[in-house]
Formats: sequence, structure tokens, C-alpha cells
Amino acid sequence: MRELLSIELLGTLASTLLFFAGLALLRWRWLQRSSRLLTLAGWLLVGAGIYGYVYSWGGEAGTAYALLALSAVAFLVVWYGLERRVARVRPGREVALEPEDRPTNWPRAIAKSFLAFVLAGVAAVGIGVAFAIHMPLVPTDRIVIGGLLVPTLWGAGMAWTLSDAKLVRATLLLALISAAAYAAAFLPKMLSA
Amino acid sequence: MHDKVQVKPPKRQFLSPDFVRAMLAGHSALGLAFAALIYIVCLTGTVSVFLMELQRWEQPDGPRVTETPSPEVIAAAVRAGYEQARADNAAHDLFVSAPPRTPQRIMVTYHDHESGVEGDWLADADGRLVTRVSAAWSEFISFLHMHLHLPRTWGKYLVGLTGVALLSSLISGILSHPRIFKDAFYLRWGGSRRLQEADLHNRLGVWGLPFHVVVTLSGALLGLSTLIVGVLALAAYDGDREKAFGTLFGPRATDSKTAAPVPDLAPMIRQVQEREPKAEVASVFVEHVGTAGQVVQLGMHMPGKIAFSETFHFRGDGKLLPDPTKAEAGPGRWILGAIQPLHFGWFGGLPVKVLYGVLGLALTIVTHSGVVIWLARRRDKGRPAPGWEKVWAVVGWSQPLAFGVTAIVALLIGEGRLVAIYLATIAAALVLALVMRDGTSTARALRVLSGLALLGAVATHAYLWWGRIADPMAWWVDAAIVAAALLIALPALKRRARSASLQQFPVAA
Repeated sequence: MRELLSIELLGTLASTLLFFAGLALLRWRWLQRSSRLLTLAGWLLVGAGIYGYVYSWGGEAGTAYALLALSAVAFLVVWYGLERRVARVRPGREVALEPEDRPTNWPRAIAKSFLAFVLAGVAAVGIGVAFAIHMPLVPTDRIVIGGLLVPTLWGAGMAWTLSDAKLVRATLLLALISAAAYAAAFLPKMLSA
Repeated sequence: MHDKVQVKPPKRQFLSPDFVRAMLAGHSALGLAFAALIYIVCLTGTVSVFLMELQRWEQPDGPRVTETPSPEVIAAAVRAGYEQARADNAAHDLFVSAPPRTPQRIMVTYHDHESGVEGDWLADADGRLVTRVSAAWSEFISFLHMHLHLPRTWGKYLVGLTGVALLSSLISGILSHPRIFKDAFYLRWGGSRRLQEADLHNRLGVWGLPFHVVVTLSGALLGLSTLIVGVLALAAYDGDREKAFGTLFGPRATDSKTAAPVPDLAPMIRQVQEREPKAEVASVFVEHVGTAGQVVQLGMHMPGKIAFSETFHFRGDGKLLPDPTKAEAGPGRWILGAIQPLHFGWFGGLPVKVLYGVLGLALTIVTHSGVVIWLARRRDKGRPAPGWEKVWAVVGWSQPLAFGVTAIVALLIGEGRLVAIYLATIAAALVLALVMRDGTSTARALRVLSGLALLGAVATHAYLWWGRIADPMAWWVDAAIVAAALLIALPALKRRARSASLQQFPVAA
């Protein structure tokens, strides 16, 4: 019984309830367009829930548990508000924007793929290498954080390249970023050698 | 006379419509290019969260270790592992993992890089090797997730690149959603299929975002680690590979081939526990075991930490080696230790695994619904793509079918030709699609077949192991597979009159 009422369990239950309360307020605010104060109150309750997890489980595991639980509770709140429709409802806010309609062909698709997968990757690795060599951090931090930067920047570069209709602009910018990154990484050493 | 209508000027959007439309175009192109790969990696990743439970399901008579093993038990497992490795002529590197890393199991693995011989064993609560690991299907699924059964390096790169593409899709997806907060709680079901799928896609995508970002980023880094971290480490150390890897992973074994006694683990474990009384052994890695150059990496799990363990390095004679990386208590060390448990959800017991399963499934649905939205949009615009609708139905629903079929084969004949059977099942699903009327009927047929195949796997398991199941986890896994089979098949069996909500690609109302 004592174990059942451990601080971890009580904290988890209380924090999960705070998530429910916070998300319910946010839902109310965003669907009913009521007072803006509800947004603040909702986020405060969500924040309190995260703090509750951290308090119960420690900063490291608590943060991870909190984010997982927040997602799960949000899915439940969304599911609770499921709106069943049988017929067409009026358009208006339901109409989402359409993707830009772009004529394309094979050479253009290949060029885009090269930019997104190769050149964006080369630029991202260049920035990661510059970070790993020059940042005033301990070596493990420089290498690992630089390593994390690479897929993040690569993904961002990919997103931007694929959304930019102008191929030349994307090519030039990625080439410039790559050149600057590798120069920043290796030039100082080459010049001092 | 007309009443004067006051028209409010439209509110200035944070993201301009042109920007959003451009982002949507990029999001759509990338999603379509990588859709099948992302879907397979996400689905197999979701299953892989339960890899250890599935291994126990496949071998439910394996020895269980319900108590935290003592230092003497771990030491005995290392000695027994070394003896077996010598008998198999594979005594080079030895790895032992124990609860909490492998719940209720002590696993002993050895490997010889030169001969390629390896062995996997389960040890009992006294550290004796009892039986070889037999988990062909779990291994098949995890290899499918990690390198798609391609040559290992290239497969890992491709999966890593898939992770980068998914990360990119998350970025462009968020940027192409200007009403992210206003719409955060909408889930409208029925009516236009496209809007329904869009609601599902966006809600699951947005509210699962912390999870999606963490697993995607960690997956990309794990897949591309040799490329990215290797290049960065070498660049930071002017190409000195040994120094670079020493910095990241601590002291390594030397190449001395002179024979030496197998290290006694018990004193090493006690030495660490004197400083950290709550620490438990999670793993032991003896590099170049039985040689003068051997080094022991003792992984000790610390309560409240996400990383499997904190590593302590010992020489073969039991002397604690200074670890230069220990002085660097920065985020880099934390990330290195936490990246794998965070990716697979192996850090908080079964409740966290279940949450990872739910969120992994959400990411899989997001991937699937992305293509469904694209196909429905084409129909809305009067440019349907019935061929691609069938193909996508096959991509989506041939996977649970192939999982069921390969599970049955693995249970009956072991490793066999699981990759060939997996590919043959997908090919058969494609052939089936050729004779089906449309994507909807293809999906429906494959869902029913998937449910049957999964139920067949459970029936096969029960037939083979009836009366010999010692591990209750096997029953839980059976129950979970039955539930999955019903969830997949039952909606597809609903009567046609009510099948409007099932239709995959109807013309919008």
C-alpha cells in the first residue's frame, strides 16, 4: 500500500490531471473564442503538470515522462471532441490552403533532389564540422552537438530547398553556405600551418 | 437599398499564404518521394519498441531472472560466456546485458570480427548459460527497421536519410500550418474524406510533436552516426581516429594477443556500488576478452536516468581506468548515453513503452494519411490516380500482412528465408491489387488478410508452445497481437451499407 501511494505515483496522477485541466481550458479558449486569460491559465496548468512530473521523477526522466504524457492526454482531449459529420458542412474555415501548383519535369526534379539531398547535406555537414572544430566547448559536446546540428540543418535545408521555386537562388545560397562553413572550419588551420 | 455591410480587413497572418503554399508544395513533394520508406521505418520502429517482449514471446521457455542479479551472477555469466565463446572459436568481444536493460533476462553475446562467428545465449539466475537465443522474427523486424535488410552500412545510411527526410517533413509541416493553435483540438470525422484525413494528420502530427522530433532526430543521428559523428570527430582531431573515438567512448582495448585470465567482474561491480549504492549492472562489455589488452566496460544503471547506464572502464586485472570523458559532464555525454533509450523508449519500463507504441503508431498514421490526403486532393480536382490509390493501399496494408506471414514462418522453421517471404508477400499483395476494383477494395481485402495472418501467428504460437509457456509475457503479447488483428480486420468487415466511412479515396461530397 505504501508503495502504491509513492510520491512518484501521486505526482504522476496529479500532474496528469493538471494536463487534462490545462488542455481542457486551451480547448475551450480556442474553440469557443472566450477570454484570452484562459490561454494563459491553460498553459500555466500544463507547465505545472510538467513541473509535477519533474518534481516526482527528477529532471531527466521527469521531463521525458511529462512530454510523453502530455501528447497522450492531448490525443484523448482531441478524441473527446470528435465531431461526427454525415453531410457536407459549410466551407469557410475548413478550406485549407492548396499547395503551390508547380509544373515540373525530370531535369528539374533531379536538380531539386540534388539540392535537397546532396547540397543541403554538404552544407549541413560543413556547419557541423565548423562547430566541432571551433566551438569553445569540451570535445564531446562539440562533436555530439555538432552531430545533432547536422540532421537538423539538413532537414531544414531540405524543407527550404523543396519549397523554394527558384532553383538558382537555392543553389547559390547552399553553395555559399557550404563554402563559408568549410572555410570557417579549415582555413584558420591552413593559414597558420 | 442595401444595408451597409462593414467588412473587417482580414487579419494579417503570421505566415503569408504564398509562403504556406510553397511550404505545402515542398512538404508534399518530400512526403511523396519518401512515403513508403518513412512508413515502413515508422511501423517497424513502433513494433521494435517491444522488441524485448517479442523476443520473450518467441522463446517463452527461456530462463527468467526476476531478481536483480548479484555481482557474482554477472561474473559467472561472463565466465560461462567466455568458455562457450572459446568452444565456438569466437572469443574476441563479449557482451552481457542484464535487467533493467533486458527485462527479466540475462543475455550473453560474443562475436569474433575476423571469423564473423557469433553466439547469443540466455543465462539463468545463477549465471549459467541455458539456451541459445532463438528470436528469428524479432531480429527480422529490428533489422528491417535499422537497415531495411540492405547491406548493413548502406541500409543504415538509407534509414538515416529517411530520418532526415521525416525531420524535414516535420519542419515544413509545421510551417505550412498557420492555424496550428486555432485548430489544435479539431477532429472532424465523416463528410469529406480529405478533410477528415487532414484533421487526423494535423492533430496527431502537432500534439505528438515532441515525440516525433526526438525519435526522428535520434533516428537520423543513429543511422548516419558513422558518417556524421565519425567525420566530425576526425575533423576535430585532425584525422586521429583512435583519439577521436577515445574522447567519445573512453579507453579502448589494445591489440595484445597474449593470453590473460578472464576478468572477475564481482569486485569491479562492488567498487562502483560503494560509491553509488543504488546502481545496478545493466551491461558488461569485455573488449578483446581473455587477452592482456582486454578492457571491461561496466555499464551501471543509475535510478532516474534515461541512459541505460553510466560506463566505468576497468583493466583486465580489475584496476579502474581513468576516463578522460568523465570530467566532461556536459550535454554531449548525456546525449550519447540517452540517444538510444530515447529513440526506442527503453528507459521507463512498460508504461513508457506503451506510450511509445501509441505515439509511434500516431507517426505511422501521419505518414499514411499524408499520401491519402494527396490522393483525395487529386480526386477532388478531377485528376484521380486509381493506380496509385491501389499501390498506396498495398504499401499500407501489406505490412501487417507480411508481419503475420513472416511471424508464422519464423515460428515454424526459424530464420529460413524471412526476407524473401516478406518480399513475396508484398508482391502477392500487388498482384491482388491488380484484380481488385479500386484502392478501397484492395485496402479492405488486405486488412482482412492481415487480421487473419496475425491471428494465424497467434494460433501457430499457441500450437507450438502449448503447455510449455513459462514466461507470462508470451500471453500478453498474444493478447496484443489478437487485439491488433481485430482492430485491423473488423472495420473492413463492416457491411457495405456502412462502408462510406471506410472508403479510402471517395470523390469528395
